[in-house]
Amino acid sequence: MMRAVILAAPSVDALDNPALSALLGLIVITLIMTLGVMFATWYERKAVARMQQRLGPMRVGPWGLLQPIADTLKLVSKEGVRPASADRIAWDLSLAAIFVPAFLVLVAIPFTADWFVSPMDLSLLYILAVGGLSFIGFLLAGWGSDNKYALLGGMRAAAQLISYEIPMILSMLAVVMVVGSADVYRIILYQDVVPLIVWQPLAFIIFLTATIAELERQPFDIPTGESEVAGGVFIEYSGIRWSLFQLTGYVNMYAYSLLGAFVFLGGWEWPFGTDIGWGYQLLLTMVKMALFIVFFLWVRTSFPRLRVDQLMSYAWKVLLPFALAQIFLNGLVLVYDLPDVVLLATSGGGALALCWLVYSVVRVKPRQPLRMVGNVPATAPGSVSG
Amino acid sequence: MIGILRSLGMTARVAFRKPVTNSYPNVHRQIANRDRAFPILLWDEEHDEPFCTGCHACERACPVECMTVVMKDNPKHATGESKRRKIIDEFWIDYGRCMRCNICVEVCNFEAIGMNNTWAGHELSRFDRSELVMDLDMLLSQSKAGKVDPGLRA
Amino acid sequence: MVAEQRPDLETIDMPINMGPQHPSTHGVFRMVLVVSGEKVVDVTPHIGYMHRGGEKLMETMDFRQGIGYADRTEYLAQFSAELGYVLAVERLMGVEVPERAEYIRVILTELNRLTSHFMFAGAFGIDSGLFGTSMMFAFREREFIQDLFEEISGDRLMYAYFRVGGLAWEVTDNFVQRCHESLKTAERGIRDIDDLLTHNEIFMGRCQNIGAFTAQQAIAYGLSGPMLRASGVPFDLRKDEPYSVYPRLKFDIPVGNYGDVYDRFLVRIEEMRQSVKIVEQALEQLPPEGPIVAEKLPRRLRTPPGEVYAKVESPRGEWGVYLISKGGDKPYRLKMRSPSFCNLTALREMTIGQFLADAVMVLGSMDIVLCDVDR
Repeated sequence: MMRAVILAAPSVDALDNPALSALLGLIVITLIMTLGVMFATWYERKAVARMQQRLGPMRVGPWGLLQPIADTLKLVSKEGVRPASADRIAWDLSLAAIFVPAFLVLVAIPFTADWFVSPMDLSLLYILAVGGLSFIGFLLAGWGSDNKYALLGGMRAAAQLISYEIPMILSMLAVVMVVGSADVYRIILYQDVVPLIVWQPLAFIIFLTATIAELERQPFDIPTGESEVAGGVFIEYSGIRWSLFQLTGYVNMYAYSLLGAFVFLGGWEWPFGTDIGWGYQLLLTMVKMALFIVFFLWVRTSFPRLRVDQLMSYAWKVLLPFALAQIFLNGLVLVYDLPDVVLLATSGGGALALCWLVYSVVRVKPRQPLRMVGNVPATAPGSVSG
Repeated sequence: MIGILRSLGMTARVAFRKPVTNSYPNVHRQIANRDRAFPILLWDEEHDEPFCTGCHACERACPVECMTVVMKDNPKHATGESKRRKIIDEFWIDYGRCMRCNICVEVCNFEAIGMNNTWAGHELSRFDRSELVMDLDMLLSQSKAGKVDPGLRA
Repeated sequence: MVAEQRPDLETIDMPINMGPQHPSTHGVFRMVLVVSGEKVVDVTPHIGYMHRGGEKLMETMDFRQGIGYADRTEYLAQFSAELGYVLAVERLMGVEVPERAEYIRVILTELNRLTSHFMFAGAFGIDSGLFGTSMMFAFREREFIQDLFEEISGDRLMYAYFRVGGLAWEVTDNFVQRCHESLKTAERGIRDIDDLLTHNEIFMGRCQNIGAFTAQQAIAYGLSGPMLRASGVPFDLRKDEPYSVYPRLKFDIPVGNYGDVYDRFLVRIEEMRQSVKIVEQALEQLPPEGPIVAEKLPRRLRTPPGEVYAKVESPRGEWGVYLISKGGDKPYRLKMRSPSFCNLTALREMTIGQFLADAVMVLGSMDIVLCDVDR
């Protein structure tokens, strides 16, 4: 699979036509991502199963490895049902509106030092901008399905995606301030000695939280919450359409994990430098990406879902002020040209403050423990079978 | 925050425990000796005939009326091979109706009916519910082949 | 804003049909929620999808056949349901149950309380949005205890093991040892669920101050069981109107202070610990030998004419059986007082004004068995 990328890479360079080479690169990425998503579904089911002390899929292939193929065949061969009262244009357009941006994001991601589809000066901005488009698709799907659950889910999705876009962009902005460039490539190169997670832990925590919310995974899966809106916007979709939505969700997960790996964990640069060859670079990238994915799965298994108002207040009242504070502190450090250690100190302090806030808000009023009542006077003592 | 970390630690610890589930159709759990699946009729090896004399006791006691019993004169009694004057002629149990309450076993005077305690009594899925109506041959086949568990309560 | 500018555009509250096919209505229960945005304005519960005429069916069955039906009415606390039914018949007939049988009944009922509360904890975790982890932990321990039930009664769910005057048959030889093993795994399960949920800030935020009921309200609505105790009323039939051998066992009743969803969860978790204590004491006091069925019981059970009401503390509350007999081997009238149904009546009052997601939590905290509601 990976061999194909590398074989494709020189041919992309060989083609002088930029449009053709970009198209070729996009096709390769789409294929790899589809395969990667199939693996991710298997891995997710398996990992979550182990965290719940289960075996997970075991029937198809060794350790259930062929399960995603069986699932795909089943989903593709399934009938795609469209409600008679659905708004047909919105119904079909939503698919494209969610599906296309997810893959467009991958265009700007440098998988190794040498191989990416299209180099850009403002690739970080491009990724965030295009990645933030998908809420339109959720709104369209929610409206077009003509289903109240879908409508609720669509509205929730729009509100959530827009709200969490802001702390996410601000956390990225903090990083951009430190590096002095909005090019992911340059950000990676900046981290040749120390990854940015060390200098910007608060931004990292905000990014991580906002990412989970953007991906609509637990505990932020409010738009699709199974126990509340029973699937949310996807409730009326079936067969191939539904699987495309799911595919998009996983592609987004890969994309944001890659972004996190590049921006905060040093991508293929840290700790071995650029000269280790594309194979190791790719491996390093994938390992770091996998860390994020495992964390997402881990969180998914462990947390209940937030409520809508809690979700909103967490974005606007907690994450946003902290992200702004981070930017302000970074600005101070940059203006007065303080050493990097100050970055760590301020950002780390902010991170601790964030943790403390989460801890304390719930326990504003400490609750009394249960009363244990032991000696209610028994009215008929000692009698066996009254 | 502490509680959140505790939750994360919990799931992380569990990930290293041995899974408690097993790969069901490949691995069958050992079922208890007293397990109650669906009722089956028992075969009298000595006289080469069913224990059941068709006395209708179970049919009358059945709370869901899933049994139909038809009795006949025992031909072997005429030849002196068996002491049973009457013997079962036809016996149907609708497994789709049966609620496995064990009452038929309790009321039987001849220990002729028992609750199946093997996996054969559980894996009975059919495509048509009419296929769940078992006739005498089916009810006796397991006991005839000697495949009943010795712990069977009758 | 738009509505203000265009008076011909009116905004209305949206009715949402939740159920009868919905992942979190715990069965075929339907509530018609009227929501204004995410806030619940009105709730109309619809029950009866599972109605099978259970009470009438039991009137056509004799006293042995009815036991199997009691199981199926309350399918998460089967032993409690059986015990209520059997107690009613025994009181009417004036049967004295042997001591050993009483102890085994109490042990099994309390273990059943554990399985039922495990089921609650698991399902409640899912209601709160957890991806099945609490369900898996809860079911893991539940299955261990069900293994024990299977070894004793022969079935994993519909035990039909209690009989009028005692038990159907003797327990297995290693009963005591197996009970201790089950308790050990159950304690581990309680710990796991405690670690996973009880102290989690997200879970606390979701549960606290949701669907709170004061003691007066709870009594006015006729709530019972953990729902009532969470509201601060120390009422438990095992203490207040003890039956069987409960007076000889030492245990505490957990009572909540706030009456909200979180208190109901805590009360149930604590009750599980108390059940472990009860079973341990009962195992100590269990007479090693003795009859398990009352003597001189006729083969065909007949009651004298009369009426009786027997109630037990099931995991959901007061499970009562009101039995009228005109003589003969079948009840003339049988009425079941099911805690699920009575607790469900409070749904509307608890839900109005909360968020849509909280409606699910409130319903989950009631721990209803739809079969028992509809009968």
